[in-house]
Amino acid sequence: MLDFHGIIFAYRTTPALGELVSKRTAASLPFCGRYRLIDFALSSLANAGIRDVGVIMQRDYQSLLDHIGSGKAWDMSRKNGGLRILPPFGLPEYHTGNYTGTMEALNAVSEYVRDIPQEHIVLLLGDLAANIDLTPVLQQHLRSGLPITAICGDHTPEGPHHRYIVDDNGLVKQALFFREGDSEGLPALEGYVIEKEILLEMMDNCYAQNLYRFHRDAIAQYLADGGLMGTYVHRGYAQVIRTVEAYYRANKDMLIPEKRRELFPAGRPVRTRAQEGVSTYYGEKAVSRNSLVADNCIIEGELTNCIVFSGVRVEEGARLENCILMRGCTVEEGVRMCNVIADKDCRFSAGTMLIGSERLPTVVPKGKEI
Amino acid sequence: MKKDCIAMLLAGGQGSRLYALTQQAAKPSVPFGGKYRIIDFPLSNCANSGIDTVGVLTQYRPLQLNSYIGSGQPWDLDVADGGVYILPPYLGANEQGSWFSGTANAIYQNIGFIDQYEPENVLILSGDHIYKMNYADMLSEHLLHDAACTIAVLQVSLEEATRFGIMNLRADGYVGEFEEKPKHPKSDLASMGIYIFNWKKLRAALIEDEADPNSSKDFGKNIIPKMLAAGEKLWPYRFHGYWRDVGTITSLWDANMDMLSTTLINLYDPEWPISSRSPVCPPHYTGEKAEVVHSIVTEGCEIDGHVENSVLSPSVKVGKGATVLYSVLMPGAVVEDGAVVEYAIVGENTVVKAGAHVGAAPDGTDAWGVATCGPDIVIRPGAKVPAGAMIYKSEEV
Repeated sequence: MLDFHGIIFAYRTTPALGELVSKRTAASLPFCGRYRLIDFALSSLANAGIRDVGVIMQRDYQSLLDHIGSGKAWDMSRKNGGLRILPPFGLPEYHTGNYTGTMEALNAVSEYVRDIPQEHIVLLLGDLAANIDLTPVLQQHLRSGLPITAICGDHTPEGPHHRYIVDDNGLVKQALFFREGDSEGLPALEGYVIEKEILLEMMDNCYAQNLYRFHRDAIAQYLADGGLMGTYVHRGYAQVIRTVEAYYRANKDMLIPEKRRELFPAGRPVRTRAQEGVSTYYGEKAVSRNSLVADNCIIEGELTNCIVFSGVRVEEGARLENCILMRGCTVEEGVRMCNVIADKDCRFSAGTMLIGSERLPTVVPKGKEI
Repeated sequence: MKKDCIAMLLAGGQGSRLYALTQQAAKPSVPFGGKYRIIDFPLSNCANSGIDTVGVLTQYRPLQLNSYIGSGQPWDLDVADGGVYILPPYLGANEQGSWFSGTANAIYQNIGFIDQYEPENVLILSGDHIYKMNYADMLSEHLLHDAACTIAVLQVSLEEATRFGIMNLRADGYVGEFEEKPKHPKSDLASMGIYIFNWKKLRAALIEDEADPNSSKDFGKNIIPKMLAAGEKLWPYRFHGYWRDVGTITSLWDANMDMLSTTLINLYDPEWPISSRSPVCPPHYTGEKAEVVHSIVTEGCEIDGHVENSVLSPSVKVGKGATVLYSVLMPGAVVEDGAVVEYAIVGENTVVKAGAHVGAAPDGTDAWGVATCGPDIVIRPGAKVPAGAMIYKSEEV
């Protein structure tokens, strides 16, 4: 699918993610033991054969850059085109502080968008955990001849989201912004296939009127002007990660085999940066129940309902329940932890006891020693 | 471009003593130690030693090996000037081409490849050993002692010495005599089959040996003795550390079991990584009723049964109520619900159906052995594979 160009929005650092995004954006949050959230958008594009992809970022993007590198893991390190990293580089008078919305982010890299050689652009969120099979989406988009196709989910996600009420042909009749819970219409996954010319028009209009938002400003105006928009329903797991609770819950969802298979189907692998790794060793007294464990770990204690990233050491007698341990954490003997998210390289000294609540897990920031 | 040292890796051996495991693929591509294939060890050693040009000599069933090595990227050997090259036997115009007739002949047939790099020295490696060695250290000893050939040697017991090529040293420390599998060994220094040659001298020796109709064209049997007889300086490079030949089922199983110990060979050492090409899979999952004890497990595995003292490769599945003891499960192997696999090697993508029983615990008799199922086999529900059995693809069990 070389007729399509991808753009991933990876600039967001939602405050409700707290300490988890103090040194990274939501798109580079570690997920499910070995991935970063942006891997899903990159892999969805790569698996549909899209090779030219721009990643829009604004600040705190060191960890994101380290992760995606030249794009090699997604076959996007190319002589022509390939992966482009897009920090802000245009429009200083318009762009102040954090991007207020997607249209501002696009306008900050407008030169890039203008130079895109393809006619159609796929827009995806960098903080959405979903393995979207884009091939049928792109086929439907081309066949329909519509300027925009919105990718929607098959179930209502937690938290505020946009919805589209559609007619029998899947054409959008009405947009409902910032809804919570089940109601009419299809929940939007904020992924779109859009004609480049239409996107540029939206960008120019928003720029001229000092408008920033993709949905409330650009899409609302487009629909109000009688613009046509088709929809495609992605069936399977989809969760936007914008709060600590959503992060915790989505990780724990991966302990459920059916949900895990939806996000990691056999035919559409989720690719990520290659890591040098050895197998994980389980000791004589190790216990691991209903847990996901990455490579390079030494597990000698007890894990129940845990997600363990690479290079974690759990010593004998430690008991962890409902915990997420990111890369390089060490849990010494006799530690007891429950409902804890430990960021990278934390160390828990012998005998520590740390209990978070199931609804609001305790987040231990990167590198902390307790 | 001129290189100090390039490596030639002999990967053409059939590995006939691995039977069903090498029925479809060459020995160096046999999975090992969970995440690896045997060839990962010499390739990683080369990369870690700063040797960036490696010729891999293949001839027996090379397809799997070729696609595994690819561009050499997993070992950082995809460099602009050098890299890893697959070298199959080939024909020139109006030439009578042939298979490699011996280790020395394999190098002889690739003199042209080596000459392109004008190397001072050539490192000869074999593709069936598990070890970590700094070849740069060996090269510096080779240069320091102005040797025509430096041979890596390992101290073994005198009983074991009868199975190896043994170096007898002169008073000045150089090799005085080389004996292949001596009945009464005079020394305990065994050749590891790793050589660094001065390329000019090796080149001349290969051409001379090729012309000798009585030669079996082998490094140990012909080239080394001839160099000694010609009065060349041969230096022994003493290696200390873990080294295993994995040419037989028993030794392959033993060496896999060694990977459960971090003291024998430390694969966790960030200074000397052993790299491999593996598809990205999610982390492994252990179910509600899973028990995993004293074992190594890697990405893509799903375990719902009992696993003890075992080595699991990527994407292995162990069903509910299944038991895996003292076994090696190669990539994609499946042990279905209630099946038992003990003291066994299960090949790639082989399925042990529900209730089947593969292998048995040692019973103290000489007849006992590790049970082996080759790749891509289905062991039928309730079937029994006895200790020491060897199951080939064509067989129905």
